[in-house]
Amino acid sequence: MVPARPKRRPFPRIRTIMTVGVIGALIVLGGQILDRELQGGESVMSETGPRVPGAVFPTDQFAGKDVPQPINFSHKIHAGDLAINCLYCHTYARRSKVAGIPPTSKCMGCHTIVATADERPEIAKLTTMWENGQSPAWNKVNDVPDFVHFTHERHLQRFLFDNPDMDVKDSSEVCAMCHGDMVEVGVAIKMRPLTMGFCNDCHEENDGPSECTRCHK
Amino acid sequence: MTRTKIDRRRFLKVLGLGGAGVALAGCDLPSYATLEEGEEQIFSYLAPEEYVIPGIGVWYASTCLQCPAACATHSRVREGHALKLEGNPTAPLNKGKLCQMGQAGLQNHYNPDRITRPRIAGKDVTWPQALAAIKQKSGANLAWVTGTISGHQRVLLETHLKASGGGQHYVLETVHAKSWEAACTDLIGVAEPALHFNKAQAIVSFGADFLGTWKSPVHYMTQYGEFRSTPRGVLTVIEPAMTLSGANADHWVAARPGSLASVALGVAHVLTAEHHVSTAGLPDGGAAAITAMDAPQVQLLAGVDAQAIKKIATTLMSNHPSLVIADGDYDDCAAAMLLNLMLGNVGATLTPGVDLAPSRLASKGGSSKDLAIFANAAGAGNIDIAFITGCNPLFTAPNGLNMKQALGKVGLSVAVAMFEDETVAACDVVLPLASALEDWGSHAPPSGALLGEIHLQQPLMEKLYPDVMGLGDVLLGLAQDAGAEGLDQFEDYYGYLRTAISAMIGSEIEADWNNVLQAGQIAAPIMERTFTTAKPITIKTPTVNPGALTLVTTARQGLYDGRHANLPWLQEAPDQISKAVWDSWAELHPGTAAKLGVKDGDYVTIQSNTGTITTRVFTYRGVHPDAICVPMGRGHTNYGRYATDNGVNPLSILDVSIDPRTGELDTTSTHVEVRPTGDNRHLARLMDTDSQHGRKLVATITADQFRRNQGGA
Ligand code: SF4
Repeated sequence: MVPARPKRRPFPRIRTIMTVGVIGALIVLGGQILDRELQGGESVMSETGPRVPGAVFPTDQFAGKDVPQPINFSHKIHAGDLAINCLYCHTYARRSKVAGIPPTSKCMGCHTIVATADERPEIAKLTTMWENGQSPAWNKVNDVPDFVHFTHERHLQRFLFDNPDMDVKDSSEVCAMCHGDMVEVGVAIKMRPLTMGFCNDCHEENDGPSECTRCHK
Repeated sequence: MTRTKIDRRRFLKVLGLGGAGVALAGCDLPSYATLEEGEEQIFSYLAPEEYVIPGIGVWYASTCLQCPAACATHSRVREGHALKLEGNPTAPLNKGKLCQMGQAGLQNHYNPDRITRPRIAGKDVTWPQALAAIKQKSGANLAWVTGTISGHQRVLLETHLKASGGGQHYVLETVHAKSWEAACTDLIGVAEPALHFNKAQAIVSFGADFLGTWKSPVHYMTQYGEFRSTPRGVLTVIEPAMTLSGANADHWVAARPGSLASVALGVAHVLTAEHHVSTAGLPDGGAAAITAMDAPQVQLLAGVDAQAIKKIATTLMSNHPSLVIADGDYDDCAAAMLLNLMLGNVGATLTPGVDLAPSRLASKGGSSKDLAIFANAAGAGNIDIAFITGCNPLFTAPNGLNMKQALGKVGLSVAVAMFEDETVAACDVVLPLASALEDWGSHAPPSGALLGEIHLQQPLMEKLYPDVMGLGDVLLGLAQDAGAEGLDQFEDYYGYLRTAISAMIGSEIEADWNNVLQAGQIAAPIMERTFTTAKPITIKTPTVNPGALTLVTTARQGLYDGRHANLPWLQEAPDQISKAVWDSWAELHPGTAAKLGVKDGDYVTIQSNTGTITTRVFTYRGVHPDAICVPMGRGHTNYGRYATDNGVNPLSILDVSIDPRTGELDTTSTHVEVRPTGDNRHLARLMDTDSQHGRKLVATITADQFRRNQGGA
């Protein structure tokens, strides 16, 4: 005989929801604490003077690890001391989603004349690779997951080229919004968290688009 | 019954709420924990290339070589890599469309099983060593065994044969329309008339899967789109087992394998007897065959009832012009052509089409006739050196042709191939072939679909492996070695092709060459054809063996004749009919399955005179009760990691029976014994059920309602 279906006891909604809620809250809290620790700084969005006029400048910090590179390229010397415009080397940033690493031919354009292989051991490494037809295998420092569609072109458009109060020669200020002050570091490190929260905050403050599909294609 | 602490319902609720909680919490998790710093590498260019901007794709034109149709492609190339293939929107042939086999061309190129070095007897060697082995045999009885070939590769191949003192060129294709061409030649004097599906109001196909694999499917699909727009054309398909075209039909009729001619003649009989269509213009033999095929005869031979025949005739009478096509043996195709003649379709939906004026550039299509001839010639020891490329005779030949022994008797067999397959593994020397995405070439669509363009193939990226070589380069090198005249000036095939194309466009200017590459096609000089009057014909009707099961080995859009079995995208793309993936199956009518005492998932042995295969049953009403349909493509014993030991190869057990009028293998006359093995395992199908279980996922109406509302037949 088929047993009679037992009467269901009422579902203990409150208890379950509370348990799940507490677990959720703990995860959120833990995440926040971990977040701050990893970032190594305060998570606040603030305007610190008119670095990029007409924009709220993010200041979240991220203590990125040292990433070894085949050549110890110093951003400080090039973009800081010599004040070479970021877009001179990262020439694709204004035209593409990726900023691109400059082609070796561009490096050699200067380094056959100044700070040559004879003078600098790091340039000697680069020169050998150039002569052997090899590209340096750089290790990526700043990256977003594959499911995030980020485009340099659009951001430069908004904050630099379409920004009437910005001069293109000050592009490093715009780059610093997401990359920190690269003009002050040697070999590149990651200086902003580049998380979804980071992006979202900036989009909110600067009236950027907020639809999911803008970034998650 | 005692209540367990957590029943299913409660478990699901907790799971749902818990999941939601975690998901909400996850919104602010330190997500960069998943980001990579210093994990991936990034390479810069040594010197920037023109037009190349990292992150931005550039589309280059080329040609699809995944089947003989040679559709024109556009490929998105980013950072030096081809990432996506699409149809070339400016090509009249395929109008920007590309089928799934074409899309999977990427996996052909990036396939991990590619041959990267030349080999002799299975051992890696250098190119000079491989060429030296070939040179020792030069000048002897030579043969090229290829798939469909056209353009300047064909010219060089024929030049090589000529320079080597003659020799044979065998062109092998399992999926071909040679019987149709033979019938067209006899009845209208043109082997491959241009077909205009878009101009027809009704299409009747006798077994020709023009939307899937027949001749130039993408070309026909674009026309079919027009055919189905207002006013909506009516499609009728008659075949032993449903194909993609059959699945799209308004009216689908199951006919006994090998009996399509009787159905076509039966329809013609109704047209004359009931609709008074004249048979006056038909060739001798045509009218007599029609008169003899009355409804009881059709019922007896094809198992198709009078009502179905009448319905087809009515459709043809009420929709002018129509188009009747066929794929089967000579009789089937000739009977279908009689209908075209009677209905006045010749000149309307079938036009003579055009030929390429440089006839050596035309597409040289293959057949199973050449397969049999090659097997005989090789088996008799008449071939000293055979170059084999673009075909896999050891897989596609029925056991009865003894292809393996035949190939063993070839003095030196040289495979020019991208992958090791059954044939390549049996060859003495293997030359690694560049992929279609790495090579130069020119390709003419099959002449029935030719509109006057030939398509250019250009490398879309650097070769993935330095030692692979394009087919054109191999052919040029061999022809030069054989002392062919006028070829010494060319350093490589690119030089040869560029010179030849420049001569065709009458310009050597760089910018013009670049324009040709950008367009991916050139208008070739053409010659108009004309129809001639029909020759007398004889149409044989089949002998019937009711109740005997006949093996049907249809080709499906996807694995095709087996060449694409090593592409995971196509293995996992569900079959159009059964929705099965990654394995073979045998389609049986539910009534036949019941008679045999088998159900879905039961393993059965299918035994012919020449062999046995064992696979699982899939019961389906789209199969004639006297047919067992095992689609071809799987069952490789040596074709890389994705194809080997996956499914069964029905081609191997086909009886070797040759149609004397065309020389082609008759693929619908293999009777088989089917016996259950007692094992059963669920067949993996993407959509495991045909029922929506009341959920209305897709709105449906009954066929009758549809016919009334949409004006179908
Ligand atoms: S029909 Fe053939 S040539 Fe055309 S896209 Fe499909 S596989 Fe490629």
